[in-house]
Amino acid sequence: MNSNNHESFQRIIDESLAGGIPAEMDQSLRHHLETCVACQEYLGASNRVIAGLGGFSFEVDPTLNARVFTALRAQQPQAAQPGRPRWVLATLAALALTMGGSFADLQFGGMIASVFDLQRTLVRQGVLAFWIAPSLLVLLLFPLLLLSSKAGTRRQERNL
Amino acid sequence: MFDYGLTSGASMESDTQRIAFGLRQGDVAVLEALVEQYQYRLVRYLIYLFGRRDGVDDLVQETWLRVLERGSSYDGHSRFEPWLFRIARNLAIDAGRKRQTLSLDSDQDDRDAQPAPVSNQPSPFTLAARTEDAARLARSLQTLDAAHREVLLLRFQEDLSLQEISAIVGAPVSTVASRIYKGLATLRPQFDGEQHEQ
Repeated sequence: MNSNNHESFQRIIDESLAGGIPAEMDQSLRHHLETCVACQEYLGASNRVIAGLGGFSFEVDPTLNARVFTALRAQQPQAAQPGRPRWVLATLAALALTMGGSFADLQFGGMIASVFDLQRTLVRQGVLAFWIAPSLLVLLLFPLLLLSSKAGTRRQERNL
Repeated sequence: MFDYGLTSGASMESDTQRIAFGLRQGDVAVLEALVEQYQYRLVRYLIYLFGRRDGVDDLVQETWLRVLERGSSYDGHSRFEPWLFRIARNLAIDAGRKRQTLSLDSDQDDRDAQPAPVSNQPSPFTLAARTEDAARLARSLQTLDAAHREVLLLRFQEDLSLQEISAIVGAPVSTVASRIYKGLATLRPQFDGEQHEQ
């Protein structure tokens, strides 16, 4: 048997150990191993290496877990609720915009209509469509998202 | 307390979903259970990366804090340990760059990888060897460069697939495979020409 043949089978042994090989190739390798002492030794030495890697037992500092737990508990309040202030701010901003739009319409609607020579109802419709309605939508959207997220959480909890 | 042990199929998916759910909630009780379960493997992984013991405990602590901080990015669709090791690895690289002690550059040509310098102190591998075969491997493992040592651990001790290892080390599957071949080739002479049990 020539050395090229050994090399190709030893390559297949490496591939087999690293990640598996197709069944056909595996069959051919087994066939070859039955008669080839050099490749048997190669496979045996590789298996000894792999088994040897399992023969290490590292000491872990017995206080390490306790130290990690303490650090995690100290860190928890910052990590647990990262998005809440943003929700509150966005809802407050939407509320302010809705109220501001209504106020602007009541206080300045007539004035704007006369300055631009428009009908009062037309100005009101414009403010409603482009100011009050979008901000009202945002105002309602955040609580709805919060409610659906809580419902999802409850569903997930039931599944656990 | 949940059992987060490695299982297969639907059961594994359910375990990882539980972990993902707990992490999204920032649930420290879930995290503590994970610490209990994965601490030894995390310590061992970092020792394999660094080839020494000092600094590992600090990195372990930093890793778990990062898990708490970034927990929402774990989706639960894949195994937890590759995600954990990826975090630990990134932190180890940052720490190694600061101290100029760890190079795991995935762009580095593997043929140019240099063996790590050998210190006079007993290596963590020598101290941890519990079998005759492990004792024989200890010195070679210490001189093997970190990138090769790392893939040997991930493949043969953590039993991760080439794809999972590739995701951890940020290198193509072919590079991971060639690192495994080279790692085995470096350690194999310890047992060449011996009678053995198959």
